[in-house]
Amino acid sequence: MIDVAQLKAHAKGLLEKGTVRTVFGYRKSTAGLLAEPAGITEAAQADDLIFDPSCVQNLALYLVNDKKHQAEKRSDDKRPVAVVAKGCDSRAITVLLQENHFPRESVHVIGVSCEGTGVVDASKLARKLGNKKALAVAFDGADAFAVTTNEGTQSIAAAEVMAERCLECRSAHPTLSDVVFGEAKAERGLHTPFQAVKAKIKESEGDRWAYWSRQFDRCLRCYACRSVCPMCYCDECVVDSINFVIAPDTTAEEKAERIKWIERSPAKSESAMYHMVRAIHLAGRCIDCAECERVCPVNIPLRLLNTRLEMEAFETFQYSPGSDPELPTLTSSFRDTDPNSFIR
Amino acid sequence: MAKVEQTAKDETGFEPKIVAFLCKWCSSAGSDLAGVSRLQYPSNAVPITIMCSGSMSPMFVLSAFNKGADGVLVSGCHPGDCHYLKGNFYARRKIYLVQKLLQFIGLENDRFRMSWVSAAEGAKFAQVMHDFVADIKKIGPQTRLKAKRP
Repeated sequence: MIDVAQLKAHAKGLLEKGTVRTVFGYRKSTAGLLAEPAGITEAAQADDLIFDPSCVQNLALYLVNDKKHQAEKRSDDKRPVAVVAKGCDSRAITVLLQENHFPRESVHVIGVSCEGTGVVDASKLARKLGNKKALAVAFDGADAFAVTTNEGTQSIAAAEVMAERCLECRSAHPTLSDVVFGEAKAERGLHTPFQAVKAKIKESEGDRWAYWSRQFDRCLRCYACRSVCPMCYCDECVVDSINFVIAPDTTAEEKAERIKWIERSPAKSESAMYHMVRAIHLAGRCIDCAECERVCPVNIPLRLLNTRLEMEAFETFQYSPGSDPELPTLTSSFRDTDPNSFIR
Repeated sequence: MAKVEQTAKDETGFEPKIVAFLCKWCSSAGSDLAGVSRLQYPSNAVPITIMCSGSMSPMFVLSAFNKGADGVLVSGCHPGDCHYLKGNFYARRKIYLVQKLLQFIGLENDRFRMSWVSAAEGAKFAQVMHDFVADIKKIGPQTRLKAKRP
């Protein structure tokens, strides 16, 4: 069991000594069940920190955003930032370190272990509770959650209400951390990884296209998936080019003939392009935090799309993202034994 | 004249549009050799020379399909023959992933293909084009990823 008091004390100590600029952690949200991410800068606020199954967000995103904000502010504060990281979040940080997005010494990772369980899936929980409203959720032993509703507290088996990716998670313990709270539970083996992808692959080509075209047709192109992804840190995205300068003397012809990889209209073909580009860009980088799927307002199964290539990385290239910051990335390395038979 | 038309169009009248990305050092030279050797092969491909198959961005493939290509071919030097020593090894990994993704989305398997064609393999290039065009004629026009533009 994680002792949250220790976590608070550690964060407080860091802020009091001034060794870190900010602590990114979770605090009780003012609305709804899920915790909210918090950037804590004052030692007194460190008491707000929590860690329970409602802490679903991937805080590695805030390291990426923080880097952008620091650059915008032209800040010369070189102190590191501390971040509370679950197993999946620590893998995301590892991938960012692998890509030299920031140096190792600029981040202080406070690892928290999900131990035998993981985080809660709010919609699964709502379905399970029926007309009762969940107010809080806490760890309850090795494989259950204690859910507080308006009618009192009840214990629910974690496997029933856990997020899908947590059921398939292969390392719930942080792989990279400066300090870690909670025990390491080596093999949890709740579900076999990639089972949804494997089921989908068995379907016929036509059925798969019918499925995906239905999904892409719904896409609103709100780019919530892009905003929430810690790996989507490009300054310029293919979908909105910012380097095309429109001056008063830019002619209509020039505007029309600029290179556009993807139109901005949410047409099916363009949304398909957008999601495929994102999937390709995440190949060997996606650490399966499933935030894209959680934030999607129209419930596009983005995790299914991303895990397709993760499965390929794992099974064909024996590569699992976020395992080692020293390792070259999937697409910047090769082996002589890579598949060759598909080439004519 | 009638004979020419017969060879240019099959019964259905469908002529596939193929975008072929050829590496400058091998496959592009291979296609040249096919030409100067006066080998007959279908003229459905629009060849685009790239510096190395390793410089092939997945964006090019997706964009070609989006703009209405019926098939996309990526061709580079044989493993070990790369002008830049290891570009085609990177390409092999990357293209493999793109192919798996396109298949997963539900694009027909035969639409995206990769081949190794060296500068001396004019005949092989002609054969690759023959096979590719024949396979695509069987599956028909690509409508799944094509943008509906005026």
